[in-house]
Amino acid sequence: MTFVLILLKSILIGGLVGFAAGMGAARMFNAPNVQALGAFRTLGEMNACEGDPASHFSFGLGFFFNAWASTVGAGAFTQDITHRVIPNWAASALLVRNKKIEETMHDPKKMAFTSALIGIVVVVFLNTTASAIPKSLQITAVKVLVPAAELLINIVMPIIFWLAAIDAGKRSGLWATVFGGLSAMIMGNAVPGVVLGILIGKGVDELGWIRLTKIMFTVIIVLFVLSAFFRGFDVQMIESFKLPVPNWLDSLHGLFNVK
Amino acid sequence: MESMEIDKKSFWYSEWSFPILVGLMSAGVFAGTHMYYQYGVGAFNEVAIVAMLKAGMDGGSYGAAAAFGASFLFARILEGSLVGILDLGGSILTGVGIGIPAIMLSVGWKAPITNFSFAIATGLVLGIAIGGIITLVRKYTINQSQASFGADVMMGAGNSSGRFLGPLILISAATASIPIGIGSIIGAVIFYLWKKPIAGGAILGAMVLGAFFPISLK
Repeated sequence: MTFVLILLKSILIGGLVGFAAGMGAARMFNAPNVQALGAFRTLGEMNACEGDPASHFSFGLGFFFNAWASTVGAGAFTQDITHRVIPNWAASALLVRNKKIEETMHDPKKMAFTSALIGIVVVVFLNTTASAIPKSLQITAVKVLVPAAELLINIVMPIIFWLAAIDAGKRSGLWATVFGGLSAMIMGNAVPGVVLGILIGKGVDELGWIRLTKIMFTVIIVLFVLSAFFRGFDVQMIESFKLPVPNWLDSLHGLFNVK
Repeated sequence: MESMEIDKKSFWYSEWSFPILVGLMSAGVFAGTHMYYQYGVGAFNEVAIVAMLKAGMDGGSYGAAAAFGASFLFARILEGSLVGILDLGGSILTGVGIGIPAIMLSVGWKAPITNFSFAIATGLVLGIAIGGIITLVRKYTINQSQASFGADVMMGAGNSSGRFLGPLILISAATASIPIGIGSIIGAVIFYLWKKPIAGGAILGAMVLGAFFPISLK
């Protein structure tokens, strides 16, 4: 009875998550004109496969083994299911029939329905298979894909975005450098900061310092301050400079420690 | 992007459909947390992050999961509305999937997590609210002007960063073990001659040789 229950629930969950993952990913190719739901790494990796169905499939497959192992071991799917497996497999399935990425991978409608199907299959499979996967395949995938993806996300993508920002003009280069450096320290990855730097730099280039760009600038500062606070960066920074942490800051942190 | 004809009024591209999109995702992810709570399988997140929720479920404190998830959610909502891509991992998987359930469980409100239909409904409402906030923020920022905000710069960078993945996979396969490195070279060469991106061939070659000559994780 439990098995049937898990099966039925998994079908619904897989359909919901798959539909949204596919639609959100396809919308990324039209961002920022269209608000999307996804991740910069997903965008970069899906572009990396260059519209080749076999590449999309094998890329997803590598992370699928990893996710399967994690599910069998700890019950956790890993974020790769929604970031990598579902969007890449959906893209692969669509590209087999039509090579034009504009009509397939970039089309939210087609991606949504294909991803919904793939999401159902993947979630049902992961939730119902108790048997372990070949250990050697899983380890190879982890040892090869994870370091490569980490290099791409932590080193290559920040540098490419950074250089693009510098080439795009003095203002975006300046703010990308400031925010990129801060975001590497505070958020652990420079890409969000560099992107925000391009956003504000080009925004001011095109519009000047009007109310809109001022609001955006303020929001970016608030974003950094809050991220720093919630990640404990403020206390770390004060301590790194060998200064005493003020009592009020300590108690402010204590206030937000949910028990 | 400029070559594409997109109908911004249709459901698939419009602003108003974004909250629905986030709602569907959140419903599924929140229900995934329900699965994990009930059956110990099915949470849409990394082992380390799910472990924080598990710590609370096993009688410890939900504090870590709640603070971690909630702060991620907040930062990503701000970032997402500005850059045009709401980060799925931070906002929904970690924020809605781990942070909000942890807050609910920490105050003893278990019903949204233990009851499947309630979980779907809770996730849907949370997602629509998050998507709504983002759409609203955009309305008063990005959409008020015709400026591109450097979208072309970002898209160009996003496209070119992808090309690096193939060589990176080869380098990392080469450091994993000699057979895996050789397998990945052969795979990449076949894909290259076949006029396909080498990333796919490098992965497949590495996995085939890795199956025959296993390595340990350490």
